[in-house]
Amino acid sequence: MQELGKAELNTTRIIRQDDNRVVIEKDLDTEYMVLSMGPQHPSTHGVLRLECITDGEVVVEAEPYLGYLHRCFEKYCEKIDYPAIVPYTDRMDYLAGINTELAYCITVEKLLDIEIPRRVEFIRVITAELNRIASHLVAIGTYGIDLGAFTPFLFCFRDREIILSLLEWVSGARMLYHYVWIGGLSYDVPADFKKRVSEFVNYFKPKVVELQKLLTENEIFVKRTKGIGIMPAEVAINYGWSGPMLRGSGVKWDLRRNDPYSIYPELEFDIPVPDGKFSDVGDSLSRHLVRALEMDESLKIIEQCLDKMPEVSGFDPRAVIPKRIRPKAGEVYGRAENPRGEVGFYIVSDGKSTKPLRCKARSSCFVNLSAMKDLSKGQLIPDLVAIIGSIDIVLGEVDR
Amino acid sequence: MSSSPSLNTWSDALSGFTLGGFPLGLVIVAAIPLVFIALYALTYGVYGERKISAFMQDRLGPMEVGPWGILQTLADILKLLQKEDIVPTVADKFLFVIGPLIMFVGSFLAFAVLPFSPAFIGADLNVGLFYAVGIVSLEVVGILASGWGSNNKWALYGAIRSVAQIVSYEIPASIALLCGAMMAGSLSMQHFNVVQSGPYGFLHFFLFKNPIAWLPFIIYFISSLAETNRAPFDIPEAESELVAGFFTEYSGMKFAMFFLAEYGSMFMVSAVLSIVFLGGWASPLPNIGGLALNDMTNGPVWGAFWIITKGFFFIFVQMWLRWTLPRLRVDQLMYLCWKVLTPFAFIAFVLTAIWEIYM
Amino acid sequence: MSEYFSNIKTSTTTIATGLAITLRHFFNAVKRKGDAGIDDADFFKQVDGLCTLQYPREVIPTPVNARYRLYNNIDDCIGCNQCDRACPVECITIETIKVTADDLAVCGKTSGGQQKRMWVPVFDIDVAKCMTCGICVSVCPTDCLVHSPVADFSEFDVKNMVYHFGNLSKIEAEAKKKKLELEKVAKAKAAEAAAASGAAPAPKPAPKPAPKPAGSEAGE
Repeated sequence: MQELGKAELNTTRIIRQDDNRVVIEKDLDTEYMVLSMGPQHPSTHGVLRLECITDGEVVVEAEPYLGYLHRCFEKYCEKIDYPAIVPYTDRMDYLAGINTELAYCITVEKLLDIEIPRRVEFIRVITAELNRIASHLVAIGTYGIDLGAFTPFLFCFRDREIILSLLEWVSGARMLYHYVWIGGLSYDVPADFKKRVSEFVNYFKPKVVELQKLLTENEIFVKRTKGIGIMPAEVAINYGWSGPMLRGSGVKWDLRRNDPYSIYPELEFDIPVPDGKFSDVGDSLSRHLVRALEMDESLKIIEQCLDKMPEVSGFDPRAVIPKRIRPKAGEVYGRAENPRGEVGFYIVSDGKSTKPLRCKARSSCFVNLSAMKDLSKGQLIPDLVAIIGSIDIVLGEVDR
Repeated sequence: MSSSPSLNTWSDALSGFTLGGFPLGLVIVAAIPLVFIALYALTYGVYGERKISAFMQDRLGPMEVGPWGILQTLADILKLLQKEDIVPTVADKFLFVIGPLIMFVGSFLAFAVLPFSPAFIGADLNVGLFYAVGIVSLEVVGILASGWGSNNKWALYGAIRSVAQIVSYEIPASIALLCGAMMAGSLSMQHFNVVQSGPYGFLHFFLFKNPIAWLPFIIYFISSLAETNRAPFDIPEAESELVAGFFTEYSGMKFAMFFLAEYGSMFMVSAVLSIVFLGGWASPLPNIGGLALNDMTNGPVWGAFWIITKGFFFIFVQMWLRWTLPRLRVDQLMYLCWKVLTPFAFIAFVLTAIWEIYM
Repeated sequence: MSEYFSNIKTSTTTIATGLAITLRHFFNAVKRKGDAGIDDADFFKQVDGLCTLQYPREVIPTPVNARYRLYNNIDDCIGCNQCDRACPVECITIETIKVTADDLAVCGKTSGGQQKRMWVPVFDIDVAKCMTCGICVSVCPTDCLVHSPVADFSEFDVKNMVYHFGNLSKIEAEAKKKKLELEKVAKAKAAEAAAASGAAPAPKPAPKPAPKPAGSEAGE
């Protein structure tokens, strides 16, 4: 046991009462224990180190230590051509590769003078939404397993396998797709793809219902996640949260509606924001609910795209891609709605070279994780696990 | 008609069996449950758990070692035997080593009063039920010893939680069993089975004879899950939170000891549940008309079959619950015990008393 | 008080629903998912039941445009170095020797009819480094570099993960280099002799226009 200095820390105790309010009590001579969760830990979702200072079972503070998966993405971008950066964006958030590639490609396309064919846009949206479903399945499954429910994890992964097979059929790889290219796609979809995807949609709809019944509605799960880690809306906005985290706090903000890109303006879908009936607004259960309900919305989007997608015979998705991608000089920031939040790329181009001068990646998980210190005050250790699971981090994106 | 007027024939015969002054028969009597635990834990316990959990999760489970993976547990045991026995330098050596031993002994001592068949029981105490409930508390000492002796914050957390859990849940468990004792009129384990055997098969079982017996049945079942640290009460072994709770630092055969103790307790509570509420070794088949099914399926060997089957069925239910439900947090666990199970146990006690006196 | 009882009621109902779902899956375990690929029309008719496949005995087929291990048909390679330049992880190593005029027929043509002008003695791909991004395959002008559907190619020695596709042995490569040197020397001598003999210098061919940066391979 490590004793901290005789500063205020030793005389202050922060506890959480039955009604989930945090109360600060002055006390004499208490000892704090420093526990290090990670970097190897079954529930930190990757190589994350959380240094928890606890008073008995109550966490006084939990500070995340990052950098274990840092791979110098932004430095490397200065060395390779624009199109060659796309495989590296895949590897940032490896669970949502297509969405991140899409964010990067629409950013670079802002500096080029090309018009993307409509069929390309539809295919991009279909694959992006399929990837979103796959990513949410991982989030839900691993959240269940953190809390001790082993079975929903396996069900989620069984369905994710089918999505991965679909995307492998289209792009050639199961997880690191390199499918969305600047100015188009790498391959056109196979002939039977539309039929198979609609069969998948019909197969998957009852599975979502089953998952909800097994995990989300289970009273034990609700007890473990309701009222835990409440983040009020204004604080969430100040921290820069986005995606399901922000929507879980009651803010109806979705980049597909608020800053639309691609063909999202033509599609009809809802933005699920919990209203406090089933869960408390801003708690872990809300965030989980948002992800579960978003899967249904993604299915809606996919169905609409399959109907509206134009059939072009002899279509070449690489037709509009320039031979050398040399964007005009300028700085541009482009962003897209990833399953975990807003992923943005800030690209500085000097107009002459085929390599970017600077490519900065704005990571959703990094910003979401920054609130960890705030969220963790006064929680019990099992609740800490519930909070981390609800933030749904992927360390590849946090550390880039 | 009582099923077997001749109780304990085999165990009495064995107890009398000496080989040149050495009570070999007694040793055999003690060894039989031990061998049973080992065999069942190896086959149904570990292998069954893995296969059942796999089928519930749309997986195959162990398939490589032996046809359908039957020899998997044997391979695991061989591996555990060959592992280096690590005792951490900072650990309290005596407590570290004795922890798993005490735990296993505590779990195994209760088998002395389990009637495996009308003809066999280790010790036919007239306070058998009381003994079974009480001796299991020895496990608590073992858990504390291993948690403290590991000299590891996480192990200590797990041990303390586990002790609190076990000690608290003994209360609703004992009261529920007391309801059963009221219905039977005695604490002797063999007596429970004798009273619940009869020509109408399962209609003699307390669960079906008594309209409120389902309440202590459920209360005892839930409490027994908490006693044996099974999900959803497996906070002490919560893998995703505390690595492995109070047995984090254990490896090799000591690890296997913990598991044997856990599976032994699982069978014991299932057996106690089936003895008190579901007739134990009495056959559930009734005599229908000319077909004397009950008489045909009663007897020393049949009795062993019935109690083992009923025990295994409840173990299946325990596994089924484990793989479906998430874990309860410690304070929710305590809430469940003190604010839900204990009041309902008292209510069940009063209702059973009223039923027994007036009807 | 009513919240206490409704709490107990929701707990029991939701737990019972969950248990029913798992039990249904348990009894469904007599069926097993087949090993059809996703491109099979009957794929969704055989997804019910246990979904584990015992690899490597039961395998799902890899799709047609799967991007796994690289393979080079070296007979079609013209030694343009595009794949080497395009690779982001620099896993391709190429050495080329220019073909002398009299060896052009020996060197032959690609399967598409293009005359090959470079010998490729060394064409190494370090498949351990390769990240299967497919950029090299997309820039290859003769489509000699392709992805094969083989995804399972582990080796015991990491040196075996460097695949050698070059089709000239060291001795042959040395011989070709010497030939090139000799040709150069001969050309130089012929030019000198022509200039020294005082004859009208052979008309120089019109100078080619300076290569534009947009279309050339100016080394970077």
